[in-house]
Amino acid sequence: MLYLLKLEWKKLNKLAAFRIFIAFYLALLPTILLLGKRIPELPPPLMTNEVLFIFPTVWEWLAYVGSWLCFFFFGFLSIISITTEYSYRTMRQNIITGLSRKQYFLGKLYVILGVSVLATAYYALCALLIGYFNTPAIYWHKVVQNASCIPRYLLMCFGYMSFGALLGFWVKRTGIALFLYLSYVMFLEAILRWGVHLQLWKHHSMHFYPMNAIEDLTPLPFTQMADEFISNYGFSLFLSPAEAVIATLVYSVLFLLLAFRLVKRADL
Amino acid sequence: MSILSIQGLTKRYGRITAVDGLSLEVEQGMSFGILGPNGSGKTTALGAVLGIVHPDAGQYQWFGGRYGQDHRRHIGALLETPNFYPYLNAVENLEIVAHIRRAQSPKIGELLEMVNLHHRRKSPFRTYSLGMKQRLAIAAAMVGGPEVLIFDEPTNGLDPQGIAEVRQTLKDIAGMGKTIIMASHILDEVEKACSHVAIIKNGKLLATGTVGAIISDDVVVETGAENLAALREAFSAFPPVRRAEEQNGRLLLYLSEEVPPSTINRLAFEKGVVLSHLRVVKKSLESEFLAITSREI
Repeated sequence: MLYLLKLEWKKLNKLAAFRIFIAFYLALLPTILLLGKRIPELPPPLMTNEVLFIFPTVWEWLAYVGSWLCFFFFGFLSIISITTEYSYRTMRQNIITGLSRKQYFLGKLYVILGVSVLATAYYALCALLIGYFNTPAIYWHKVVQNASCIPRYLLMCFGYMSFGALLGFWVKRTGIALFLYLSYVMFLEAILRWGVHLQLWKHHSMHFYPMNAIEDLTPLPFTQMADEFISNYGFSLFLSPAEAVIATLVYSVLFLLLAFRLVKRADL
Repeated sequence: MSILSIQGLTKRYGRITAVDGLSLEVEQGMSFGILGPNGSGKTTALGAVLGIVHPDAGQYQWFGGRYGQDHRRHIGALLETPNFYPYLNAVENLEIVAHIRRAQSPKIGELLEMVNLHHRRKSPFRTYSLGMKQRLAIAAAMVGGPEVLIFDEPTNGLDPQGIAEVRQTLKDIAGMGKTIIMASHILDEVEKACSHVAIIKNGKLLATGTVGAIISDDVVVETGAENLAALREAFSAFPPVRRAEEQNGRLLLYLSEEVPPSTINRLAFEKGVVLSHLRVVKKSLESEFLAITSREI
């Protein structure tokens, strides 16, 4: 594993896109949340911006910010780190030089895992620091109350990157893969959903589409609003955390298995 | 010792059969040339034995199975174009190759000296000229001291100076006693660099053997006369003539030994035929190649 991780590091650490995406993530994750300080009053039911920064809600809010950043930067990174190796024909060369196809694929998988773990660690660190400096009175049980956000954050990042990896190995061209990734997450899934159910919101089962499941791992924390939705429409706006976790795990494994099949079978 | 053994290798792309039942044996220490026109299946065949193309049929085995599935680490290969990370420099690119091969002491500096790139080792790959890229690819193939080197069209697209440099480098490598497999459509290249040759066309093996055996030692004498039938008759009983063949109004005599032209001239005259044309031709690989590849398959 270390052998493959070192190899991928040699490739990635000088890749401009890698450095830029990492830098943006590191800078934007705390900054965007802290921009909330600029908003003195929030519309009901929140009323005040305080919830953004105090335990335990800081976990949810920072996770929501992070989900957008992971979707963009790490989804893109996953795609680019794979498609550029097609366009430079270095994937082919790596295999000629001695890697097996399985090793090549595992290298990419380890990158996805590694980036997800580090991104999550940084998220946890930021949440702890922001919470620590903004919560007037710190009680340990309040600090860890929403710490289940941490594994869900990890899975969210891993889910986006797995989807990116599948598109990368499948489409092989950077531009087209990025376009497909963006448009699928932003609207193709909604169109698909509408095509199947002929309605955007109808039934709880509609939330089980892959990108929706990933989004629901770290949803916008409008719990009150969500509760209202349940009483009005009879089903929730979001998947429950457990449902989202299981759905994302199933989809991620599926994406990666499909990607591995592509790597195994392709003539390079 | 067997280095590479291929049996009945076949690869189809839709209706096109790129490689058709190809069988080859490469032994240790050979400089093995694979000669064929463009599109004859050379690169596909090499791609198959290097694991990047899945063959539809047939088997191959490297090193008699000594390294199992891990054989590619012991092969240095340059297939078609040089492929490197454009944003990395020469040293960083070779370090990646060394890492993949698990080369203990890759001697990257020495290799870059050998291909005359040491002064540009810190420049990103994308700034290199085609000749420099090709030379870096040769250096990459050498990283970790592989037992076999594969070069596919190593001088393709280079200017005369680049060709000369690459050929010199290949000669140096052959001098180190490595097994070399080289695919080319340039006869001269194979004739000069290789001890053995396989000629393929449309994915089929047409001939294989030592360069000496493929290039017959026959001396060919081109003769001409008004009456070719009489001329042929005149030489029918002349022992050095192994074969006579009419071509474009001339009679080609394949002689097993060198005979002075004057002898041939006299012999014809004694039989009552006056020569209108007499030329001694050394048969080259080129004419053999053209003769072999132009046969109907």
